[in-house]
Amino acid sequence: MNEFKKAREDYEATPIPQELEDRVRAGIRQGKANYRRRRWRKYAAGTAACLVVLAGALNLSPTVAAAAAEVPVLGGLFRVLTVRDFHGEEDGINYDISVPGVEAEGELAQRVNDVIQEKVNAHLAKAQQDWEDYKEAFFATGGTEEEWGERTMDVIVDYEVKSQTDARLSFVVTFGEGWVASMEETYCYNLDLAEDRDITLAELLGENWVEQCNEAVRAGIAASVDEEGFTFFFPPEEGGFATVDESTAFYIREDGVPVLVFPRYSIAAGAAGSPEFPVE
Amino acid sequence: MASLKEELLESYLIGGQERFYRLAYSYLRDREEALDAVQTAVCRCLERRDSLRDEAALGTWFTRILVNTCMDLLRQRRRVTFVPPEALDAGSYEDPLPEDGALADRVNGLPPEAQTVVKLRFYEDMTLREISEVTGWNLNTVKSRLYAGLKKLRVSLEGVTLE
Repeated sequence: MNEFKKAREDYEATPIPQELEDRVRAGIRQGKANYRRRRWRKYAAGTAACLVVLAGALNLSPTVAAAAAEVPVLGGLFRVLTVRDFHGEEDGINYDISVPGVEAEGELAQRVNDVIQEKVNAHLAKAQQDWEDYKEAFFATGGTEEEWGERTMDVIVDYEVKSQTDARLSFVVTFGEGWVASMEETYCYNLDLAEDRDITLAELLGENWVEQCNEAVRAGIAASVDEEGFTFFFPPEEGGFATVDESTAFYIREDGVPVLVFPRYSIAAGAAGSPEFPVE
Repeated sequence: MASLKEELLESYLIGGQERFYRLAYSYLRDREEALDAVQTAVCRCLERRDSLRDEAALGTWFTRILVNTCMDLLRQRRRVTFVPPEALDAGSYEDPLPEDGALADRVNGLPPEAQTVVKLRFYEDMTLREISEVTGWNLNTVKSRLYAGLKKLRVSLEGVTLE
């Protein structure tokens, strides 16, 4: 079996990436967190019904709560509500769904809600389809029922309010699908509810917004290069960052600074996640 | 109690990381994907630690998670890989022949199931019984997959210890 001796030497000579230990530690942290979440969920599912549609749980931000308590509905006042909340398992899919809705006067809020609802529906349908396709491929390539039973998929819809003032709201909605690899998409919404329109980078930063943003991104990429010259960001000639434009996603931080958000894999390797750059 | 298990898992995972990476890389042949696979398997291992009842079986249990993760990634890739027509050559329709490069490469060209058996047997020095525990396939299936794999590799069976 000398042939295998050589093959085994080749195998053992596989170069080990430097970041392996970081990735293993990240996996450990993730796993611990998920373990607690699952345990908690099992407990919660046992004690309470876990399907709540149209819960209308008020987003407990002090500003919003105070505003809602003191002022009856006036032009510009808004609330962010969880309009759909579903946590539970169905056919091997773990759902963790919290869909936001903006409650405000004016067409913009309605339009935003409709867009979000549409995306949620598409996301859930796609997740189910992916799971079906995967199941088919799984059995077609020799998987057994028993092995299949061990598999689950996570489907996530969640949101985070990044900042809010009396009439301005910035929030991010995340859609995730996690099974063998994970897929995540984020959508940013920046609304001027007093004027009933979307907020643009141009109005936040002035006419030089493109140069300003590009500079911030380039500086951020330059700062990410480690002492060995390694960075997760792709060089421009290999599909890396070129320039921002009207379609570049951003949210507004609590202090009013816009933060640019790039989709995972768009300008950097997947390990970098979804890169963000504040434009200060 | 739970934290003792957590510590045990943690030190096992940190200590064995290079071995895990090599195994993942041998399936996926891609640095980033292999890192993703190791991270995913490590995460699942902690997430599902309640299903490990016998701590002595930690090795086979984790290998099972890791191998399943890699095989899933391969299956998923098979579903989505786009191969441009010009990249196809006649050779890719046939089983690899001995002169098609090193044995290690030919092992990686085997179907995922046969690959698993061959690698665990010859790279990780597992017995067929252990492989059967890792994969959940019964002993005869493991044997037949090993024979089929070796036949495809056109490796002489002389001197191969199968038990």
